[in-house]
Amino acid sequence: MYELAQKGLKAALSMGADEAEIFIGEGHGTSFDIRKNEIEGAKESTSQGLGIRVVINGAVGFASTNIMSRIEDTAKNAVSSAKVRESDPDWKALPSDEKYPNVSGIFDTELKNMELDDCIKKAIDMIDGAKTVSNITVTSGNFSRGFGKSLILNSNGIEIEEMGTTVSGFVDTITNKGETSTAYDFEISRNNDIDFEIIGKNAAELARRSQDAISIDPHKTNVILHPFAFSDLLDSTFVPSIDADNVQKGRSNLINKLGEQIAAENISIIDDGLLDGGIETGRSDDEGVASQRTNVIENGVFSSYLYDSYTAGKDNVKSTGNGSRSSYFSTPSVGTRNFIVDVPGSDIIEDTEEGIFINTVIGAHTANGISGDFSVEARNAFTIKDGMIDKPIKSLMISGNMFDMLKKIDGAGNDLRKVGSTVTPSIRIPDMSIVG
Amino acid sequence: MHSVDFFDARIVEGTTTSIVLDNGKIEQVAVNYTKGAGVRALCGGSWGFTSADGDFDIDKAIASASELAVSMNDKSPKENAKLKEIDNPSVTDLPKVKIDPQDISLEEKVRHLQEIGSYAQKDGISSSSAVYSESAVKVTYIDSNGTKGEYDLIRTGFAISAVASENGVYQAGRESRFGVTGYEIFDQSNAEELAENAANTALELLSAKPAKGGSMPVILDPELAGVFAHEAVGHASEADLVLEGSSILENRIGQQIASPLVTIIDDPTMHAYGYYPFDDEGSQARKTTIIENGVLDSYLHSRETAEKLGGVPGHSRSQGNSKPVVRMSNTYIDSGNSKFEEMLEEIRDGIYLIGSRGGQVNTGEGVFQFNAEKGYLVENGELTGLIRDVSLSGKTLEILNNVKMVGNDLSMNSGRCGKSGQLVPVTDGSPHLLISEALVGGA
Repeated sequence: MYELAQKGLKAALSMGADEAEIFIGEGHGTSFDIRKNEIEGAKESTSQGLGIRVVINGAVGFASTNIMSRIEDTAKNAVSSAKVRESDPDWKALPSDEKYPNVSGIFDTELKNMELDDCIKKAIDMIDGAKTVSNITVTSGNFSRGFGKSLILNSNGIEIEEMGTTVSGFVDTITNKGETSTAYDFEISRNNDIDFEIIGKNAAELARRSQDAISIDPHKTNVILHPFAFSDLLDSTFVPSIDADNVQKGRSNLINKLGEQIAAENISIIDDGLLDGGIETGRSDDEGVASQRTNVIENGVFSSYLYDSYTAGKDNVKSTGNGSRSSYFSTPSVGTRNFIVDVPGSDIIEDTEEGIFINTVIGAHTANGISGDFSVEARNAFTIKDGMIDKPIKSLMISGNMFDMLKKIDGAGNDLRKVGSTVTPSIRIPDMSIVG
Repeated sequence: MHSVDFFDARIVEGTTTSIVLDNGKIEQVAVNYTKGAGVRALCGGSWGFTSADGDFDIDKAIASASELAVSMNDKSPKENAKLKEIDNPSVTDLPKVKIDPQDISLEEKVRHLQEIGSYAQKDGISSSSAVYSESAVKVTYIDSNGTKGEYDLIRTGFAISAVASENGVYQAGRESRFGVTGYEIFDQSNAEELAENAANTALELLSAKPAKGGSMPVILDPELAGVFAHEAVGHASEADLVLEGSSILENRIGQQIASPLVTIIDDPTMHAYGYYPFDDEGSQARKTTIIENGVLDSYLHSRETAEKLGGVPGHSRSQGNSKPVVRMSNTYIDSGNSKFEEMLEEIRDGIYLIGSRGGQVNTGEGVFQFNAEKGYLVENGELTGLIRDVSLSGKTLEILNNVKMVGNDLSMNSGRCGKSGQLVPVTDGSPHLLISEALVGGA
């Protein structure tokens, strides 16, 4: 891998690149799809590929391939794509001089070497978990286990290699007797520490509890959003506004708001590339900048945008280690690392006289990522009466604005949960509009 | 080596080029060349699947998929799966490409895109972006029954978006066209005018009022009605979802499930973005009528689901090297004979919903939600105030039955559809629809 990257780097520089960067990604995965209470089959995938970024006279070009033997052709394509561009005055340089911190909990040998039998057993555990609840069918589901490696090399001396493992489980369940209702649950981890039976059981119980739903009239009330619902909304309505690229392009609601109170006082949000065992944890980001912890909101005060090295250069600040690539065939852009919502918790349902508890929402991605306005369908929603979950609700839409919501948050649960890379408890917002 | 009942392999080789402009400035130029294979093997009722990237050894991949299938069948045996037999696909009606995008220089493409993008940079627009992409793929299919097929396909397209802002309010407009055509797509779709439209939408939305939610009669424009046809009906007609018990259309074939005015078709042979000559398991592409005059006529099938439920395969697709799943292609509600003016007259008071910013559907419960790009209040049969942040939600079967008028103005929109973590090119479309009652969500 290392020799190949060296070869690519040399090729790019000899073709006229002033700076060059090679990113190599490699992945091996095993997964099983579940269909109607049965494991449908086994999948094994291997992926590998490389992306080359070159800079010529301040213009950046990029090319990628998954045919490793074509590394020199790819360097040539990257060079010609740089040559059609004019010099970019905002381009500073590829990263250099980074000191990498140590991270932990992202590689588990057990996961890397897990045998097919063990994987199958975990997938069956999810189905069995769901079967502990009567009249439930697992409609679909998935178990996946993966091992990945990446290497970044650039002409400024950056060399960083990383390895990691992940495992995840997901099930979708439906009731097969009485009123039809559905629910899902999932978990993802870097270590072999997931209880797969619980995933099935949780989804099944939720589908079951959502039966015999009532209709409600439109009104304003306390709404508690489960970590699934809150993280989904946060991703679509808040995250785009802290992306420095959107800010620099005038597409953010948080332009010129640094230092302002934008959320209730007891709310902090941290972007953390170093979280022990985090899904987005690593020693560096995807362009070789050392990972760090960045306070985005500190006690309600907006403290930082998130930067990759290009946007940081443009604002004359240091990258926050948020250069992110979805794959070897994409150039880096700003992306969150582990995104942690920190609000003091309590027995939030018990503390709520009256209101609504919402497990998941559908349609969050249709929200307005600039203004923060959203209007989504709530799923597996329940009324809360006298501090207890009361009745399931048939059909419910909630709408509002994330930035108004952040200021109004008046409580959180003790149920901190890793929803992929977002870490959040349940969140309570008073006086929200709901349409039944 | 193969103690399996069936195996197949799909080899995909392709080059993509993409250009991204931001406010007229090139933000990205990228060229990607990839090759890979997706190999399936079936043993009893268990599938093994292997995907390989780059320089792979196809025999090894087949052996590895077979091994997985055999060992799955040992460890969790289930009812044998059978596949519908198919003939060798014929590739006779490939779209003709007038201008091969690979014959145009990168410099010229950049210059051209910059020119088009400049039409979106109107007064009041705070930022705009333009994206161009082209791909040329070669797909080769073989299976253990001797089926063979091969085709080359070129796809091109572009998208323009514009953001307007005023007093901390941001609104966006977006237009795009993607198709199985060559570089001529720019001329065919009048790209300059589309860029202006994107800017105009963003600008006019600044002064639009948020909608007031509630249950009311609505008119859907062809784009939003097309999204409904795809999201709410099309997905529920996918036979894999029917089989796993998560479709409201299960056991409904032959039943009247919609207003007799409604006919919904999925047609992969149409020369639009969702086109393919044969699907990703070698089945000839065929036009399928899902709903005919309100009666559920057919699900969409793979070879396995067609055998199980009785049907015709031809709707199994995959992205890159992934495992094929049942998918749509070009999905539309067929034209009726009402004019838009007649709908306004009929509705009297309600909302006219235009465009789509995406949506989601729960096919098991038959509920959906999607956000319109914008809308107009209809008062006394006339379009009055422009509204924004408006969404439509409801129960699929109720909406299908509440269709009171179907327009004569079918038009299609291109996009990509996600399922099982895979994106595939599709189009969806419809004429204008009048729905007597639907749940509209607002701010």
